[in-house]
Amino acid sequence: MEAIIAEHIVKSFGSVQALADISLKVESGEMFFLLGASGCGKTTLLRCIAGLEIPSSGKILFGNQEVTQMPPHKREAAMVFQSYALWPHLTVGQNIAFGLEERKVPKPEIKRRVDEALEMVKLPGFGERSIDQMSGGQQQRVSLARALVVKPKCLLLDEPLSNLDAQLRVEMRREIRRIVKENGLTGIYVTHDQEEALAMADRMAVLHAGTISQVGAPETIYRSPRSAYVANFIGETNLISGNVLDVKERFVLAQTALGPLVARITDPDWLPQSGESIQLSIRPEAWRLHQPSGDNAVQGKIVERSYLGQRIQYWIETAGGRQQVVEMNPHIIHEPGEATIMLHARHDDAIALKS
Amino acid sequence: MKRGPALIIASTIILLFLVFFFYPAGMVVKQAFQGTAADGSTIWTLAFFNSVFSNPIYREGLWNAFALGIVSTAATLAISLPLALIGHRYDFFGKPVLGVLVLAPLILPPFVGAVGVKQMLGVHGALNAGLIDLGWMNAQAPIDWLANGRFLGIVLMNALHLYPILYMNIAAALANLDPAMEQAAENLGCPPWKRFLRITMPLAMPGIFAGSSLVFIWSFTELGVPLVFDYARVAPVQIFDGLKSLDKNPIPYALTAILLIVATVVFALAKCVMGRSPLGTAPRPPARANTHRLRGWKSFLCSGFFIGVFLIASIPHIGVVLLSLANRWYGTLIPDSLTLRHYIEALGNGLVVPSIQNSLMYAGCATLIALFIGLGVAWVVVRSNLKFRNALDAMVMLPLAVPGLVMAFGYLALSQEGKAFHFLLGADGNPFFLIVIAYAVRRLPYVVRAAVAGLQQSNPMLEEAARSLGASQFRMMRRVAIPLIGANLAAGSILSFAFAMLEVSDSLILAQQAEHYPITKAIYTLLSTLGNGTELAAALGVWAMVFLSAAIMGAAVLGGKRGGLFKV
Repeated sequence: MEAIIAEHIVKSFGSVQALADISLKVESGEMFFLLGASGCGKTTLLRCIAGLEIPSSGKILFGNQEVTQMPPHKREAAMVFQSYALWPHLTVGQNIAFGLEERKVPKPEIKRRVDEALEMVKLPGFGERSIDQMSGGQQQRVSLARALVVKPKCLLLDEPLSNLDAQLRVEMRREIRRIVKENGLTGIYVTHDQEEALAMADRMAVLHAGTISQVGAPETIYRSPRSAYVANFIGETNLISGNVLDVKERFVLAQTALGPLVARITDPDWLPQSGESIQLSIRPEAWRLHQPSGDNAVQGKIVERSYLGQRIQYWIETAGGRQQVVEMNPHIIHEPGEATIMLHARHDDAIALKS
Repeated sequence: MKRGPALIIASTIILLFLVFFFYPAGMVVKQAFQGTAADGSTIWTLAFFNSVFSNPIYREGLWNAFALGIVSTAATLAISLPLALIGHRYDFFGKPVLGVLVLAPLILPPFVGAVGVKQMLGVHGALNAGLIDLGWMNAQAPIDWLANGRFLGIVLMNALHLYPILYMNIAAALANLDPAMEQAAENLGCPPWKRFLRITMPLAMPGIFAGSSLVFIWSFTELGVPLVFDYARVAPVQIFDGLKSLDKNPIPYALTAILLIVATVVFALAKCVMGRSPLGTAPRPPARANTHRLRGWKSFLCSGFFIGVFLIASIPHIGVVLLSLANRWYGTLIPDSLTLRHYIEALGNGLVVPSIQNSLMYAGCATLIALFIGLGVAWVVVRSNLKFRNALDAMVMLPLAVPGLVMAFGYLALSQEGKAFHFLLGADGNPFFLIVIAYAVRRLPYVVRAAVAGLQQSNPMLEEAARSLGASQFRMMRRVAIPLIGANLAAGSILSFAFAMLEVSDSLILAQQAEHYPITKAIYTLLSTLGNGTELAAALGVWAMVFLSAAIMGAAVLGGKRGGLFKV
């Protein structure tokens, strides 16, 4: 297993720039996610790594070896396609054996390894079936087996679960992660589903308009987003604009329409100045109800609620507009129109962002 | 669509097919097996087949037809497969224009093209004259490029005329492949040429087979080209020659039945290979294509190949155009002097103007009928839930498999005095209804494919929305459904009209009196007229060419993606 390094990748299609100077390093044995809205360039980046696109400029390295111009069939980077791309004129076993035949593996070994691969994806004895006889989830497993059986340097997954129904998707998440980890593979996984990324990734990169917004572990990205875009794209959040009054260590005191609020600075390269206008991000679950008022406390009135079983969601009208608030495992259910209610956010949970 | 109306439409169409398609075809086969015993009663017999196979002339005719089919198909494949593959894989200089130019052969009826080829490549044709002028050939011993003016000439003409149909079939099959199919193989370490053999070819095989089977059936039963080349030892011409003595001579029945049986077997074989899985085709929206942009000499090499094919395919056209303009053209590279007099004279000829009127009438009515039936079939196939709707779709495509010659022969036999279709003949033997029906049945597949494609792309919710706003079924069709697929219908109709105008077998066989001749029979008759008949025929052929190219361009613009209309 080798690390995968992208250096200053630029890719243009005609006048459209799909990737604008992207650099990142995926560590060996890591499950790395590329996450972003459609059109952000995540699939293009994956296809550059697979060799299906050649970057307009920049370098791609597998370990110490540069592969930027290497044709895809020599890269040893096996890919799982969104549409599975299983060949309907070959059986399940023949599909899986294809890559081994290309590598001139002896026949008996091919048979053994195909059986092993089928075992690994929990489809033992399905080798003789035709592709048409397989369900969507089974096809997904076959295409995974076909990519894994050649023991690739890395595994590239292009939205592999987007064609499955919700329940199967959750099951396959754990399955794919297990297989990648058991085989000690370096995996790069493209998705637009943030839950999938949070649940499966060791680290992830959020892409926006052809650039990387932030790279980090799921909990870092969620708890310490460094831009309003990331805070909004991963999970939900309340964005509040304000002006800096004071900065102390890594915390900022800002004047907002809700009153003065203290918030944590996440971007290590940024030190806000007094008077600078900034944005504050407070997640719905970071607002706590019925806390004794101290600083970071805000008064509001419930205008709407929706009950979701495990949690309850409120929209609360405050002096600075509506705030979304989520309470887990609620004991008391408030009705809209009740008397005023107090909201409170811990300093750690309020994030100060450049506006 | 409600079950009731769907059932009514479907059963009407099936009934029409039973009467005007299965009955004539079946009658031909039946007649071939039916003889008169010594006591005057009718008996089943293999006697006619025996006499066909024991007669060396008929044996040779069948063998020649079969060989023409095989060799023409191979030649056609040799031209169209590289064209389609290069077009699929590469982007090169001038591709959009060249992709249309190579369809040029479609605009010339093949037997008119054969006249042009004879002028260009014949022993005393333009090529030899040019070579002699250059001193590269001995004027006393010119080379016969068409190999006795026969077999190879017909193969050349067939291949040059038919490769666009195969090219479009293969191109459509390749375009429908999911690009991820090839990318997955590439990703697993498969080099380009192996990828082609192991993935692309097997997946495109159904399209290649389907197209090849059409080409085989067409050249196997081709009548016009061998007639023009005076190649009498081939089954279709033998059938044509035997028509005059149909009541006494059962041999044409047996020959026609053999042609039909071979064609059906070939078509069925192709359908078996067609057992295609929907999995290999492109998802919507399709993944990024695998087309590589070529630069420099490689790009020009591809352009050069397309241009070369186009130039060779234009030989018949150039021959016909020059011939129509020539005062006299014999044994020289180009005619000595040019004139427009043939065009003017052609319009004065007693055959020409009525034949144009006849053809417009025949083709126009046939297209209307095909459009009407085709729309009904498409509606049932796409919008109803009848169990047999796919069988209905397959049934209306069958006219592609049955040679025009067989159908024409069946109609002619059935319209004899005392036979079932005799009432369709007009008072003075006017074959109007027969020809219109024959044209309509054979052109139906084009309209059905166009209408089915249109309906599949148009969202049924748009129709339901109109119904929910209170529009009646009829009003919904008129205001919403038909306008939405109007372009497809127009494209299919234009094509079927154009092909009906230039139809050969039905026209040659069914029109007996000069005043009922369609264009193609008029051209054929002019060809055998002494004096300047050939030049007049060429002039009429040029008119046909101009007309058909305008029609096909219109269809291409309306139909959008070319190729879709010709897919089986």
